Amino acid sequence: MKEFTYTVTDPAGIHARPAGLLVKQAQPYASEVSIEKEDKTANAKSMLSVMGLGAKNGDTVKVVAEGADEDNAIAELEAFFKENL
Amino acid sequence: MRITDLLQKEGIELKGASATKAETIHRMVDLMNKTGNLKDPDAYEKAVLKREEEGTTGIGDGIAIPHGKTAAVKSAGFAAMVCKQGTDFEAMDGKPAQLLFMIAVPDDSNDVHLELLSRLSMMLMDEEFRNHLISAEDKEAFLKLINAKEIEKFAEEDAKMTASRAVEKTNSGYDIIAVTACPTGIAHTYMAAEALEEKGKKMGLKIKVETDGSGGVKNELTAEDINGARGIIVAADKKVPMARFDGKRVLQTKVSDGINKPEALIQKALEGQAAVYHDQGEESSPSDSGEKESVGRKIYKDLMNGVSHMLPFVIGGGILIALAFLFDDYAIDPSNFGMNTPFAAFLKTVGGAAFGFMLPILAGFIAMSIADRPGLAVGFVGGYLASEGYILTTVKGTLTIATGGTSGFLGALLAGFIAGYLVLGLRKLCEKLPESLEGIKPTLIYPFVGILAIGAIMVFVVNPPVAWLNQAMSNGLNSMGSSSKVILGLVLGGMMSIDMGGPFNKAAYVFGTASLANGQYDIMAAVMIGGMVPPLAIALCTTFFKNRFTKKERQSGVTCYVMGLSFITEGAIPFAASDPARVIPSCMVGSAVAGGLSMFFGCTLMAPHGGIFVFPVVGNPLMYVVALVVGSIVGMVLLSILKKPLPAEESEI
Repeated sequence: MKEFTYTVTDPAGIHARPAGLLVKQAQPYASEVSIEKEDKTANAKSMLSVMGLGAKNGDTVKVVAEGADEDNAIAELEAFFKENL
Repeated sequence: MRITDLLQKEGIELKGASATKAETIHRMVDLMNKTGNLKDPDAYEKAVLKREEEGTTGIGDGIAIPHGKTAAVKSAGFAAMVCKQGTDFEAMDGKPAQLLFMIAVPDDSNDVHLELLSRLSMMLMDEEFRNHLISAEDKEAFLKLINAKEIEKFAEEDAKMTASRAVEKTNSGYDIIAVTACPTGIAHTYMAAEALEEKGKKMGLKIKVETDGSGGVKNELTAEDINGARGIIVAADKKVPMARFDGKRVLQTKVSDGINKPEALIQKALEGQAAVYHDQGEESSPSDSGEKESVGRKIYKDLMNGVSHMLPFVIGGGILIALAFLFDDYAIDPSNFGMNTPFAAFLKTVGGAAFGFMLPILAGFIAMSIADRPGLAVGFVGGYLASEGYILTTVKGTLTIATGGTSGFLGALLAGFIAGYLVLGLRKLCEKLPESLEGIKPTLIYPFVGILAIGAIMVFVVNPPVAWLNQAMSNGLNSMGSSSKVILGLVLGGMMSIDMGGPFNKAAYVFGTASLANGQYDIMAAVMIGGMVPPLAIALCTTFFKNRFTKKERQSGVTCYVMGLSFITEGAIPFAASDPARVIPSCMVGSAVAGGLSMFFGCTLMAPHGGIFVFPVVGNPLMYVVALVVGSIVGMVLLSILKKPLPAEESEI
């Protein structure tokens, strides 16, 4: 299991558009990818689930990947977050 | 911000058709526009389409959430469309969309957009819930589903938010506002207000309670209070002004709930479990926890609205008339007692004026309780026609409208209910009229058609049988004149208190005064004693069986002594009107016993009025008093048996 934490800098938070991008990014991995915020956990491969998290600008989220390609997934996702969120 | 607060019926379409994505969006913008949330629908549509270009909002699982945040939006809002067979929305998973929610957010709102999306998404994650939504039968059911889900998911969060907001807003605005009111407006109104205020404070909330009691409205809610409130509670057993709450969630319930379960009410109001109140001027209001107000309770509420407004007229008028007898000199002209001296005449005239309003007020406010303000005038006129008894009849050979069918307070009750439902019916009919005629409904249609109709109903339908009954009764009494005196006394006494001013009472009274002219003085004595018993029996009952009455009733029981002793039978009307099935039989039996005894003892009376003030000229006065006391006690005992003790919180003992 690999993870990283990230503080959202997008002024609009993880709203529909970036959530869509994130899901697209996460779907190809073989690993389970989840995003945690406080006591909520979202499946990063489901747009509904990611939007349900309601992560706002300034919120800290933890991204967790678990599976065959977890190393690769976490590395790429961290880069994705920094660039897009 | 709750989704349920932002989604309206007008913004829902349950039978969406398959179409291109652009067409579907166009249709949903139309829906959104119907809810009045948009300043510029075209600009909003452009914003939504632009957003779709950046990436589809067809988020998969048959859901699409097209949205736009733009200055073209007036206030945040939702529109929803169900498309059972699915419609293409270029979804990420390629599946057609069945559930479409459109969100509009004004430009200046920071996180609202995100919060709404998050909420909606969390709710929609539940597949079963989605299926329920797709197969919702009507818009109401659709809204209910969303409301229930939102409460299930977010009730706690919403309550917390309110609590934290309460701490923030220390100076202005209330979390909870409430209105309390009961028919008499003496005790319950204020007890409920106090209970709500105390509980609210304990829960750390700012609360303001308007009391709509007999002393008028106190601590009135302002438009600002109403707009800023998080929850609204109306705990009332009578009509309170509701139009000001239009479009807000209002928890409507009984005043006793305000006293007994303030915490539950506040909790429910905070969680937004109440239905949104839409002012249509109609009475139909989903009350506490969605159960419909029972028919009995509704009739009681309407009735009490009439009785509580009538009461001051009865008390004021009754005492003035009693004083007229006190200050008059019987010796001047027995048949004109109460009007012989100028001062007495003044008192009796003013008191009589108050009595004249009694029945119109009763009918008017019953009708108003049923049909709101348009009902008032129609009920008033109906009540007046009942009290005057106008019918189509022949006077001196010409067919005309004249008095003769006075249906008394029972007729006025009938007039009030008929008028109320008549106006409700009119409103229903008028719904079909074009909107351009909206303005003339209250200023022309309701008053004109309503009063015309109630006039026709009273003059041609209600009053004629009453007139006939009155005539039949007079004939019956005349034919009885020679039979047993005691039975005649029983019948006359009983008739006096059947309807307290209606056809029975009038027939008996006229028979009594007519007999005076024929020199038969025993009949008038039986008639008067029969009319004295009802208020006295009730007054005695309020004294010796306190727990059968509310505090307010006990207080008006005192004036009942005065009125009973003064032969002002009307004193019993407020009691009879609010509980006819128990009060009238008790009074009737008591009056009949008194009338029979008066005849049996051979008591006589030469004045047509005056009560205790003409006792000095009654023949066999001692036994007359005995008859009165016995009759009153019989009535009291019967009433105490028929009327069940009230629960302590209502009787306040």
